[in-house]
Amino acid sequence: MAEFSWDVRSPLDRALAVGRYGARGDAGVTLTEIRNFDLVQVMARRGKAAEMAKAAKARFGSAAPKTPQAVQGSDATLIWSGPDQFFVLSKGGKHAIGALGQAFAQSASLSDQSHARVLISVSGVKARAMLAKLSSIDLHSGVFAVGAAAATSMDHTSVTLWRGNDLADGLAVFNVLVFATFAESLWHTMLDSAAEYGLAIAHSEQLA
Amino acid sequence: MRIVCPFCGERELGEFTYLGDAKPVRPAAGAGADAVYDYVYLRDNIAGVMSENWYHGGGCRAWLKVTRNTLTHEISAIEPAAGAGAAKVGA
Ligand SMILES: [Zn+2]
Repeated sequence: MAEFSWDVRSPLDRALAVGRYGARGDAGVTLTEIRNFDLVQVMARRGKAAEMAKAAKARFGSAAPKTPQAVQGSDATLIWSGPDQFFVLSKGGKHAIGALGQAFAQSASLSDQSHARVLISVSGVKARAMLAKLSSIDLHSGVFAVGAAAATSMDHTSVTLWRGNDLADGLAVFNVLVFATFAESLWHTMLDSAAEYGLAIAHSEQLA
Repeated sequence: MRIVCPFCGERELGEFTYLGDAKPVRPAAGAGADAVYDYVYLRDNIAGVMSENWYHGGGCRAWLKVTRNTLTHEISAIEPAAGAGAAKVGA
Protein backbone atom coordinates (compact mmCIF):
# COMPACT_ATOMS: atom_id res chain seq x y z
CA MET A 1 0.00 0.00 0.00
CA ALA A 2 1.21 3.45 -0.84
CA GLU A 3 2.52 5.51 2.02
CA PHE A 4 0.98 8.88 2.65
CA SER A 5 2.54 11.86 4.29
CA TRP A 6 0.40 14.61 5.71
CA ASP A 7 3.33 16.80 6.65
CA VAL A 8 2.56 20.46 6.13
CA ARG A 9 4.94 21.83 3.53
CA SER A 10 5.27 25.27 2.04
CA PRO A 11 4.11 25.64 -1.58
CA LEU A 12 7.59 27.14 -2.12
CA ASP A 13 9.30 24.08 -0.64
CA ARG A 14 10.86 23.09 -3.97
CA ALA A 15 11.31 26.51 -5.54
CA LEU A 16 12.96 28.27 -2.61
CA ALA A 17 16.73 27.69 -2.43
CA VAL A 18 18.23 29.37 0.62
CA GLY A 19 21.32 31.45 -0.16
CA ARG A 20 22.44 33.91 -2.81
CA TYR A 21 21.03 34.42 -6.30
CA GLY A 22 21.78 36.79 -9.16
CA ALA A 23 24.44 39.49 -9.23
CA ARG A 24 27.42 39.11 -6.91
CA GLY A 25 28.40 41.59 -4.23
CA ASP A 26 26.13 42.98 -1.54
CA ALA A 27 22.58 41.68 -1.93
CA GLY A 28 20.30 44.55 -2.94
CA VAL A 29 17.14 42.58 -2.19
CA THR A 30 16.26 40.11 0.57
CA LEU A 31 13.35 37.71 0.00
CA THR A 32 12.16 35.83 3.06
CA GLU A 33 9.28 33.42 3.05
CA ILE A 34 7.44 33.43 6.39
CA ARG A 35 6.15 29.93 7.20
CA ASN A 36 3.60 28.43 9.59
CA PHE A 37 1.26 31.31 10.32
CA ASP A 38 -2.44 31.48 11.13
CA LEU A 39 -4.41 33.52 8.61
CA VAL A 40 -8.17 34.06 8.85
CA GLN A 41 -10.29 36.15 6.53
CA VAL A 42 -13.08 38.01 8.34
CA MET A 43 -15.95 39.30 6.17
CA ALA A 44 -18.85 41.26 7.62
CA ARG A 45 -22.32 39.92 6.90
CA ARG A 46 -24.90 42.18 5.22
CA GLY A 47 -25.45 45.26 7.34
CA LYS A 48 -23.15 43.98 10.13
CA ALA A 49 -20.00 46.00 9.44
CA ALA A 50 -20.37 48.07 12.62
CA GLU A 51 -20.91 44.95 14.75
CA MET A 52 -17.88 43.29 13.17
CA ALA A 53 -15.77 46.36 13.97
CA LYS A 54 -16.94 46.24 17.59
CA ALA A 55 -16.11 42.53 17.86
CA ALA A 56 -12.64 43.13 16.37
CA LYS A 57 -11.95 45.92 18.80
CA ALA A 58 -12.98 43.72 21.75
CA ARG A 59 -10.85 40.84 20.51
CA PHE A 60 -7.69 42.59 19.35
CA GLY A 61 -7.71 45.85 21.30
CA SER A 62 -7.51 47.87 18.10
CA ALA A 63 -10.07 48.78 15.48
CA ALA A 64 -10.09 46.74 12.29
CA PRO A 65 -8.85 48.80 9.33
CA LYS A 66 -11.65 50.52 7.37
CA THR A 67 -9.26 51.71 4.68
CA PRO A 68 -6.26 49.95 3.08
CA GLN A 69 -4.08 49.68 6.19
CA ALA A 70 -2.38 47.03 8.30
CA VAL A 71 -3.01 47.56 12.01
CA GLN A 72 -1.13 45.95 14.86
CA GLY A 73 -3.44 44.36 17.46
CA SER A 74 -2.53 42.27 20.46
CA ASP A 75 -0.66 39.23 19.06
CA ALA A 76 -2.12 39.77 15.59
CA THR A 77 -1.87 41.99 12.53
CA LEU A 78 -5.18 43.08 10.99
CA ILE A 79 -4.82 43.70 7.26
CA TRP A 80 -7.52 45.34 5.11
CA SER A 81 -8.49 43.05 2.21
CA GLY A 82 -11.53 44.82 0.76
CA PRO A 83 -14.64 46.73 1.85
CA ASP A 84 -15.90 45.39 5.20
CA GLN A 85 -13.34 42.59 5.32
CA PHE A 86 -9.84 42.01 6.70
CA PHE A 87 -7.25 39.34 7.42
CA VAL A 88 -6.09 38.30 10.88
CA LEU A 89 -2.44 37.26 10.68
CA SER A 90 -0.97 35.63 13.78
CA LYS A 91 1.04 32.69 15.08
CA GLY A 92 0.65 29.91 17.62
CA GLY A 93 -3.10 29.27 17.35
CA LYS A 94 -4.30 32.04 19.68
CA HIS A 95 -6.18 33.74 16.82
CA ALA A 96 -6.60 30.72 14.54
CA ILE A 97 -10.03 30.10 13.02
CA GLY A 98 -11.19 27.82 15.84
CA ALA A 99 -10.38 30.51 18.38
CA LEU A 100 -12.08 33.34 16.48
CA GLY A 101 -15.43 31.72 15.65
CA GLN A 102 -17.13 32.73 18.88
CA ALA A 103 -15.93 36.35 18.72
CA PHE A 104 -17.46 36.95 15.28
CA ALA A 105 -20.43 34.58 15.46
CA GLN A 106 -22.95 37.44 15.30
CA SER A 107 -21.30 39.69 12.77
CA ALA A 108 -18.95 38.08 10.25
CA SER A 109 -18.13 34.98 8.22
CA LEU A 110 -14.67 33.50 8.66
CA SER A 111 -12.52 31.60 6.21
CA ASP A 112 -9.26 29.87 7.13
CA GLN A 113 -6.54 30.94 4.68
CA SER A 114 -3.55 29.64 6.69
CA HIS A 115 -2.53 27.09 4.08
CA ALA A 116 -4.09 28.91 1.14
CA ARG A 117 -1.60 31.78 1.02
CA VAL A 118 2.14 32.22 0.95
CA LEU A 119 3.70 35.14 2.79
CA ILE A 120 6.80 36.71 1.23
CA SER A 121 8.69 39.52 2.90
CA VAL A 122 10.71 41.82 0.60
CA SER A 123 13.40 44.16 1.91
CA GLY A 124 16.82 45.54 1.00
CA VAL A 125 18.13 48.77 -0.51
CA LYS A 126 16.77 47.76 -3.95
CA ALA A 127 13.41 46.42 -2.72
CA ARG A 128 11.46 49.34 -4.21
CA ALA A 129 13.30 49.18 -7.53
CA MET A 130 12.58 45.46 -7.77
CA LEU A 131 8.91 45.81 -6.76
CA ALA A 132 8.43 48.68 -9.23
CA LYS A 133 8.83 46.09 -12.01
CA LEU A 134 5.92 44.06 -10.63
CA SER A 135 3.55 46.57 -9.07
CA SER A 136 1.86 49.77 -10.21
CA ILE A 137 1.48 50.93 -6.60
CA ASP A 138 3.59 53.95 -5.64
CA LEU A 139 5.80 52.57 -2.86
CA HIS A 140 7.66 55.81 -2.15
CA SER A 141 8.08 56.30 1.58
CA GLY A 142 6.03 59.50 1.53
CA VAL A 143 3.10 57.76 -0.19
CA PHE A 144 3.18 54.20 1.10
CA ALA A 145 4.08 54.65 4.76
CA VAL A 146 4.55 52.01 7.46
CA GLY A 147 1.13 50.37 7.91
CA ALA A 148 -0.09 51.16 4.38
CA ALA A 149 -1.76 48.24 2.61
CA ALA A 150 -3.17 47.47 -0.83
CA ALA A 151 -5.30 44.79 -2.43
CA THR A 152 -3.65 44.76 -5.83
CA SER A 153 -2.06 42.62 -8.54
CA MET A 154 1.54 41.72 -9.29
CA ASP A 155 2.31 40.09 -12.62
CA HIS A 156 -1.48 39.58 -13.12
CA THR A 157 -1.67 37.75 -9.79
CA SER A 158 -3.87 39.01 -6.95
CA VAL A 159 -1.88 39.87 -3.85
CA THR A 160 -2.34 41.60 -0.53
CA LEU A 161 0.55 43.99 -0.03
CA TRP A 162 1.43 45.93 3.09
CA ARG A 163 4.40 47.74 4.55
CA GLY A 164 5.56 46.34 7.89
CA ASN A 165 7.74 48.03 10.46
CA ASP A 166 11.12 49.17 9.20
CA LEU A 167 14.16 47.04 10.00
CA ALA A 168 16.65 48.12 12.67
CA ASP A 169 18.80 49.68 9.92
CA GLY A 170 15.86 51.78 8.72
CA LEU A 171 15.12 49.81 5.56
CA ALA A 172 11.48 49.27 4.58
CA VAL A 173 9.82 45.85 4.63
CA PHE A 174 7.09 44.98 2.11
CA ASN A 175 4.92 41.94 2.85
CA VAL A 176 3.16 40.09 0.05
CA LEU A 177 0.40 37.53 0.58
CA VAL A 178 -0.24 35.48 -2.55
CA PHE A 179 -2.51 32.51 -3.29
CA ALA A 180 -0.61 29.26 -2.65
CA THR A 181 -1.09 27.92 -6.18
CA PHE A 182 0.26 31.16 -7.72
CA ALA A 183 3.15 31.49 -5.26
CA GLU A 184 5.75 29.55 -7.23
CA SER A 185 5.03 31.54 -10.38
CA LEU A 186 5.25 34.88 -8.57
CA TRP A 187 8.37 33.68 -6.73
CA HIS A 188 10.19 33.04 -10.01
CA THR A 189 9.07 36.43 -11.32
CA MET A 190 10.45 38.02 -8.16
CA LEU A 191 13.78 36.22 -8.62
CA ASP A 192 13.99 37.49 -12.21
CA SER A 193 13.17 41.05 -11.11
CA ALA A 194 15.74 41.04 -8.32
CA ALA A 195 18.57 39.15 -10.04
CA GLU A 196 20.33 42.28 -11.33
CA TYR A 197 20.55 43.68 -7.77
CA GLY A 198 21.80 40.47 -6.13
CA LEU A 199 19.46 38.54 -3.92
CA ALA A 200 19.59 36.92 -0.48
CA ILE A 201 16.95 34.18 -0.05
CA ALA A 202 15.77 32.76 3.26
CA HIS A 203 12.75 31.38 5.07
CA SER A 204 11.70 32.12 8.59
CA GLU A 205 9.13 31.13 11.21
CA GLN A 206 9.00 34.67 12.62
CA LEU A 207 6.33 37.16 11.66
CA ALA A 208 8.01 40.51 11.09
CA MET B 1 -6.79 54.70 -18.46
CA ARG B 2 -6.94 54.71 -14.67
CA ILE B 3 -9.93 54.22 -12.40
CA VAL B 4 -10.16 55.66 -8.89
CA CYS B 5 -11.66 52.81 -6.87
CA PRO B 6 -13.66 54.31 -3.98
CA PHE B 7 -12.12 51.66 -1.72
CA CYS B 8 -8.54 51.33 -3.04
CA GLY B 9 -7.69 54.63 -4.68
CA GLU B 10 -6.30 55.21 -8.18
CA ARG B 11 -5.43 52.01 -10.05
CA GLU B 12 -4.41 50.96 -13.55
CA LEU B 13 -6.98 49.61 -15.98
CA GLY B 14 -5.43 46.11 -15.86
CA GLU B 15 -6.85 45.53 -12.37
CA PHE B 16 -10.42 46.01 -13.63
CA THR B 17 -12.85 44.04 -15.75
CA TYR B 18 -15.58 45.71 -17.81
CA LEU B 19 -19.08 44.30 -17.57
CA GLY B 20 -20.99 46.88 -19.59
CA ASP B 21 -24.07 49.07 -19.37
CA ALA B 22 -25.24 49.63 -15.78
CA LYS B 23 -28.66 50.87 -16.84
CA PRO B 24 -30.64 47.69 -17.72
CA VAL B 25 -32.87 46.55 -14.87
CA ARG B 26 -34.01 42.95 -14.55
CA PRO B 27 -37.71 42.75 -15.49
CA ALA B 28 -40.19 41.71 -12.80
CA ALA B 29 -41.01 38.00 -12.58
CA GLY B 30 -43.73 37.26 -15.11
CA ALA B 31 -42.67 40.03 -17.49
CA GLY B 32 -43.25 39.31 -21.15
CA ALA B 33 -40.71 37.70 -23.49
CA ASP B 34 -40.01 41.03 -25.20
CA ALA B 35 -38.98 42.68 -21.91
CA VAL B 36 -36.67 39.77 -21.03
CA TYR B 37 -35.18 39.70 -24.52
CA ASP B 38 -34.52 43.44 -24.28
CA TYR B 39 -32.88 43.05 -20.85
CA VAL B 40 -30.65 40.14 -21.86
CA TYR B 41 -29.65 41.08 -25.41
CA LEU B 42 -30.39 44.64 -26.44
CA ARG B 43 -27.90 47.38 -25.62
CA ASP B 44 -27.59 51.00 -26.62
CA ASN B 45 -24.33 51.83 -28.34
CA ILE B 46 -23.71 55.14 -26.63
CA ALA B 47 -21.24 57.65 -28.05
CA GLY B 48 -20.92 59.91 -25.03
CA VAL B 49 -21.59 59.73 -21.31
CA MET B 50 -22.58 56.26 -20.15
CA SER B 51 -23.13 54.47 -16.84
CA GLU B 52 -21.05 51.27 -16.69
CA ASN B 53 -20.34 48.37 -14.35
CA TRP B 54 -16.68 47.64 -13.63
CA TYR B 55 -15.21 44.92 -11.39
CA HIS B 56 -12.04 45.54 -9.37
CA GLY B 57 -11.04 41.87 -9.59
CA GLY B 58 -7.31 42.59 -9.43
CA GLY B 59 -7.81 44.57 -6.22
CA CYS B 60 -10.57 44.70 -3.61
CA ARG B 61 -13.01 42.59 -5.68
CA ALA B 62 -15.78 45.18 -5.39
CA TRP B 63 -18.23 46.07 -8.17
CA LEU B 64 -18.26 49.72 -9.15
CA LYS B 65 -20.63 51.97 -11.08
CA VAL B 66 -18.57 54.23 -13.33
CA THR B 67 -19.88 57.18 -15.35
CA ARG B 68 -17.62 57.42 -18.40
CA ASN B 69 -17.59 59.29 -21.69
CA THR B 70 -17.02 56.61 -24.34
CA LEU B 71 -15.64 59.23 -26.77
CA THR B 72 -12.97 60.71 -24.47
CA HIS B 73 -12.65 58.06 -21.71
CA GLU B 74 -13.23 60.89 -19.24
CA ILE B 75 -14.66 59.51 -16.00
CA SER B 76 -17.00 61.91 -14.20
CA ALA B 77 -18.26 59.75 -11.31
CA ILE B 78 -17.44 56.46 -9.57
CA GLU B 79 -19.44 54.86 -6.81
CA PRO B 80 -19.71 51.38 -5.26
CA ALA B 81 -22.33 49.24 -6.97
CA ALA B 82 -25.40 48.42 -4.89
CA GLY B 83 -24.48 45.91 -2.19
CA ALA B 84 -20.71 46.34 -2.38
CA GLY B 85 -18.97 45.09 0.76
CA ALA B 86 -21.48 44.35 3.52
CA ALA B 87 -23.79 47.24 2.57
CA LYS B 88 -27.47 46.43 2.48
CA VAL B 89 -28.93 46.73 -1.00
CA GLY B 90 -31.42 49.58 -1.11
CA ALA B 91 -30.54 50.72 2.42
ZN1 LIG C 1 -10.83 48.45 -5.21
